[in-house]
Amino acid sequence: MLEIKNYSNFILKDISFSLESNLIILGNNGAGKTTIAKVLSGIIASDCVTIDGLKPSDIHGDEKTKLINYIPSYLEIFDEYLTVFEFLELSNLHSDFPIDTVLENLNIGYLKNNSCKHLSSGESQLVLLASAILHNAKFTILDEPTSNLDPKRVKTIFNLLKSTEYLNNKIIITHNLNLAYQLGYDILFIENGKIKYHGKNEEFFSTSNLQNFFEDSVKKVDNNILVNL
Amino acid sequence: MRYLLILTSLIIIAIAPFSGQIDISLANILDVSKMDYQIFWDIRLPRVVLAFCVGAILALSGLVFQTIFRNPMSTPFTLGVASGATLFTAIGIVFGFLTFISFFAFLGAVLTIVILFLIASRFHATQTSSLLLVGIALSFFYSASLMVLFFISDLQESYEIVRFTMGSLDIVGFNSIYLVILAAIFILSIVKKYQYHIKLLLTSYDFATLKGIDVKKTNYILLLSVSIVVGICVSITGPIGFVGLIIPHIIKTIAKTSSDKLIVPIFFFGGVFLVLCDLIARNTGAVSDIPIGVVTSFLGAPFFIYLLLKRGKRS
Repeated sequence: MLEIKNYSNFILKDISFSLESNLIILGNNGAGKTTIAKVLSGIIASDCVTIDGLKPSDIHGDEKTKLINYIPSYLEIFDEYLTVFEFLELSNLHSDFPIDTVLENLNIGYLKNNSCKHLSSGESQLVLLASAILHNAKFTILDEPTSNLDPKRVKTIFNLLKSTEYLNNKIIITHNLNLAYQLGYDILFIENGKIKYHGKNEEFFSTSNLQNFFEDSVKKVDNNILVNL
Repeated sequence: MRYLLILTSLIIIAIAPFSGQIDISLANILDVSKMDYQIFWDIRLPRVVLAFCVGAILALSGLVFQTIFRNPMSTPFTLGVASGATLFTAIGIVFGFLTFISFFAFLGAVLTIVILFLIASRFHATQTSSLLLVGIALSFFYSASLMVLFFISDLQESYEIVRFTMGSLDIVGFNSIYLVILAAIFILSIVKKYQYHIKLLLTSYDFATLKGIDVKKTNYILLLSVSIVVGICVSITGPIGFVGLIIPHIIKTIAKTSSDKLIVPIFFFGGVFLVLCDLIARNTGAVSDIPIGVVTSFLGAPFFIYLLLKRGKRS
């Protein structure tokens, strides 16, 4: 079980929740979603977070990697010659899939020997997803996993996230409301650093709640959530 | 290209002890009665070994600093370590502690790295350019202090300070370089041991943390090790700049692989580079040797710029 109790910092105000399985975190730009992710994964040290009784910022090695992983929205690499394959080797921790299989499943086998520094934003997002699958922690936080992808790829990733074959428990941060809706996981909605809603997916996406949280900017059409332009 | 480089390097190392103001013949180096024997074993060989070890240490230290501070410009020298060592040596010279002069240089180098590290721990990992600015500010502060020392020192003392800043590989016998040899072996084994950690640090601090390593502890260990060995080098040879900056870049540009795989090559070619510079220094000076720091910069700077231009053109 993952638990955060009464956490506050420069942006977040009194954050408390716990979860056993999947979760989707929604919220406006600058609401504090990525900060929550960094706190949960131990990148920002805090005593308020426990995962199966352990504090993620205090533990190292296998003990930590088995528990939690955070996948940022863009790939940050300092070395300009590190290849995709080498990068994925570093993530190859608790998964039974060979690196090549994961690359093939995401249709990015052709990137294997490319330098990580010279990937397009979409490609690097797929490489990050591959690293999440290979790392295979108990909880994986994915920060906007589809933000730079073309519609075909979004669909591939949706299917991958929907299946239980690849990743254990997922915490997905996204602005893609339709993705959030179709995945059907519980919703955590944040506004100005505070939790505004934490509950069932169906209830959150009821017409009245949509109006309440997003005003006129979204609408439901044929069971899909669209941005109302 | 790679094999040619290694072969050339081995040839440079092999001929280095034989060439100089007095050329030594191979046949005489085992004959105790000849003067060549003494020159070879007491002066030339220790000097080549010293040059190799110091070059290797400085190059590897450059790699470690560039990786940890995530900035291609950061080396122990660009961050003010050399100025720190020089200032403390000058203090030693001016206030008459000549017997402890090496210790003063060591103290200056290590103290500077400690100051840098204390400041760095207050920055977020991404603010490495701020650290570089701190290093530059420190260097200016040291320079100003050095000016004061020049001002109050007499002619003899000023000359000694100037000679120290030029760097020198003049030593006699193996006794004075055992420490440097140990330092070279020590830093190579530490960096080798942390190869996996370094590879993770080549991605990002966050990524490395998530893959289970204690980033802070790793940085402490690596930086402390580097500061000790650089302190030892500077205390014996004076500040020899540029090696730590350019050798890692040159090797990376040639090898085109991630830096974690280049630990041994950077160590080796750093050593060879300084042996070559020393060889040139010993053979071109009409009256006496050219200071080694002059040769490293004269040779290194144009080649470095050439490589940068070539790379710029390709991308």
